[in-house]
Amino acid sequence: MRKLLFRNIAVAMFLSVTFLAQGQKFESPILITSAGQSADVKLVKLLAARQQLEATTVLMAEPSDVEGVKSIVIVPGFSSKGLGAAGISQEEEMNRVKELVNLANSKEIPIIMVHVGGNARRQGQSDAFNELIANNSKYMIVVAQGDEDQFFTNIASKRGIPLKVVEKIAETGEPLANLYQ
Amino acid sequence: MKAVYLKAALHIFLLGFVLSNAYPQGEAEGTKGMVATAHPLASEAAIEMLQGGGNAVDAAIAAAFAIGVVEPDGSGLGGGGGMVIYLKEKNESFYINYYARASERGSEAGYSGSKDAKTAKAICVPGTVAGLTMAHEKFGTLPLKKILEPAIRYASAGFTVDATLATLILDNIETVYADEVTTNVFCVDGFPLMEGDRIIQKELAETLSVISREGKRGFYEGVVAESMVKGIAERGGTLTMNDFMSYEAELTVPLHGTYRGYDILTANVPQSGLCLIEALNILENYDLKSAPHYSESATILHLIAETERFTYADRTAYLGDPNENVIPVSGLISKKYAKKRFQQINREQLDPPAYRDVVEGDPFPYVKKKTGKTKQEETTDSGGHTTHLSVIDKDGNSVALTQTLGLFFGSGQTVEGVLMNCAMTNFSHRSKNSVNFYKDGKQSRSSIMPTIILKDEHPFLIAGSPGAARIIATLIEVIINVIDYEMSVTEANLAPRFFVRDSEDYLYLESGIRPDVRQELTEMGHTLKVYQGIDLFFGGAQMIYVDPADGTYYGSADKRRGGIAIGY
Repeated sequence: MRKLLFRNIAVAMFLSVTFLAQGQKFESPILITSAGQSADVKLVKLLAARQQLEATTVLMAEPSDVEGVKSIVIVPGFSSKGLGAAGISQEEEMNRVKELVNLANSKEIPIIMVHVGGNARRQGQSDAFNELIANNSKYMIVVAQGDEDQFFTNIASKRGIPLKVVEKIAETGEPLANLYQ
Repeated sequence: MKAVYLKAALHIFLLGFVLSNAYPQGEAEGTKGMVATAHPLASEAAIEMLQGGGNAVDAAIAAAFAIGVVEPDGSGLGGGGGMVIYLKEKNESFYINYYARASERGSEAGYSGSKDAKTAKAICVPGTVAGLTMAHEKFGTLPLKKILEPAIRYASAGFTVDATLATLILDNIETVYADEVTTNVFCVDGFPLMEGDRIIQKELAETLSVISREGKRGFYEGVVAESMVKGIAERGGTLTMNDFMSYEAELTVPLHGTYRGYDILTANVPQSGLCLIEALNILENYDLKSAPHYSESATILHLIAETERFTYADRTAYLGDPNENVIPVSGLISKKYAKKRFQQINREQLDPPAYRDVVEGDPFPYVKKKTGKTKQEETTDSGGHTTHLSVIDKDGNSVALTQTLGLFFGSGQTVEGVLMNCAMTNFSHRSKNSVNFYKDGKQSRSSIMPTIILKDEHPFLIAGSPGAARIIATLIEVIINVIDYEMSVTEANLAPRFFVRDSEDYLYLESGIRPDVRQELTEMGHTLKVYQGIDLFFGGAQMIYVDPADGTYYGSADKRRGGIAIGY
């Protein structure tokens, strides 16, 4: 009986999240940016372009880049190579991202998290960025390999954030575009 | 007591690492053979040769061809490298320089700096096949066909993308996108392969098969070379048929130095073995064995960091193609010159205070009179995006081999299944006074430094690393970890690393360097950039240690690079 109850609750939660996932819409102009300076943000830029989704991509977005923006797509994932190219430390990047997230929250600009890096952008130094962005997002799109341990699923269910899990990176573009139609 | 604390700290550090890493932990042990490479399949290829009756050279060649397939980001047929060979019975050592060389018409391509790094303009004449087939011809025992079997198998049947390769494809996606053929190898539907996906390289398998049948000629003459010349030209590069047909690997001797009674056999010029010898000579003036480990002492870390910075400054000033320049090799590796450089180090603070302001020393007064003009004289006297592998066989024959495509995924251009190098990036293109200034047909300097260390004519440590300019710092640190701090190879490999040089603005270090040490370094004038945990930035040392007491082999592959050591 107890098992059945838990199952029903779980199904109800899943359905509500799915419902939210299907219904939620966001507005342009869109800013695409990175949290952790991985090159994954370039893939999301490409995915958006393939879907003819107009967006401005700024790898290290600053407060001025948020002017006039109606939604922010943040691609989390740590890359020491990316940080090296940007000439900043992990701590500086984390401070920048926190500032950006706080600004978005204060201006009520919704954040959409798109995690495309799979295992390569999980654990280690990536998860601090993943956790920050996931917890502050209004919608998450995740390639399944990055959620094998239910990391994003757990955050989504705990905070009631719609989550769309896709199998392949190439499948990420369509649900992203759907959020704007 | 100090050593006990250090080992305890290291074990805590290692435990933390093990818990967050999927790769098997622990060093390999054996008595009949040992190999350490950056990929399990390359290590298996080498073991297959050893167990099939081959020697260390056969095994190293098999691993080198295989690693170009299974770690295609770091090396391959389109690149170049160098290998130190030690033949135990005769107590002889050799160095094969097979680094890429500029085209006879390279300047016509119009390479104009780093913006062209990921184009065909950056491609130089690849040397890998010439070097590996030369090693086989001179020192191998198994048929080339057998040696190439694993590489062909991995390329044609495919293999599973591991975490390291998946990350590197993501990190270097713009390079992968630089060429449609390269994109098709590393992507599906235009998006990167992920960990667990299968990667098949049919065209590369075909080129490897031609080499298997025809040897060096199969790559540098005939249809494969013609297709590469044509394909590179179509992409805006300028390699000629004559470039391919005239390319020869160079068989010389390793550069020789000593450190605290050990013999160092390392890469000859224009590769960077002399930097290792110079740095160890400088450090020989200080009793590191009685000192705290550098991760626990700012004073010691500062001393080693300044040694590295001074050495890099000398490298920048003096290291280039010996066929085009006078390289004061014997001066740079002399003990007296090292003592002078040691005395120039300010032990209290960073001096000069800007990393870039460090100046080169003057090694010319220390150049031996009868040498110092040409490479042949020097070598007779003497005695980094990249991959390294170390091999030893049952007879103690040893190979240290480092090869590269330049940067990760080289130029990003794939022709005939071969991912081509970007060796033009290794030249100086701005300063005409630089010893490394570009010239058609020239060979650039390179950071690679495969190294074999002997103790009383027995192999003691076989080591090397990828990591571009960090290679030099990494090798210095792992060697003093083994010799001075008496660490096992695994402990030496996982000990935190740091890097500083003459053309950077920071002292880069891993977070295993204690926070109070970092604070003190800052007070000494250093500007730090800290990497959490261990990081690929600091290379991927593949090492084999031979216990002088009983001859047991211990192998360690660097967890920064997803490698593995196998022994039996």
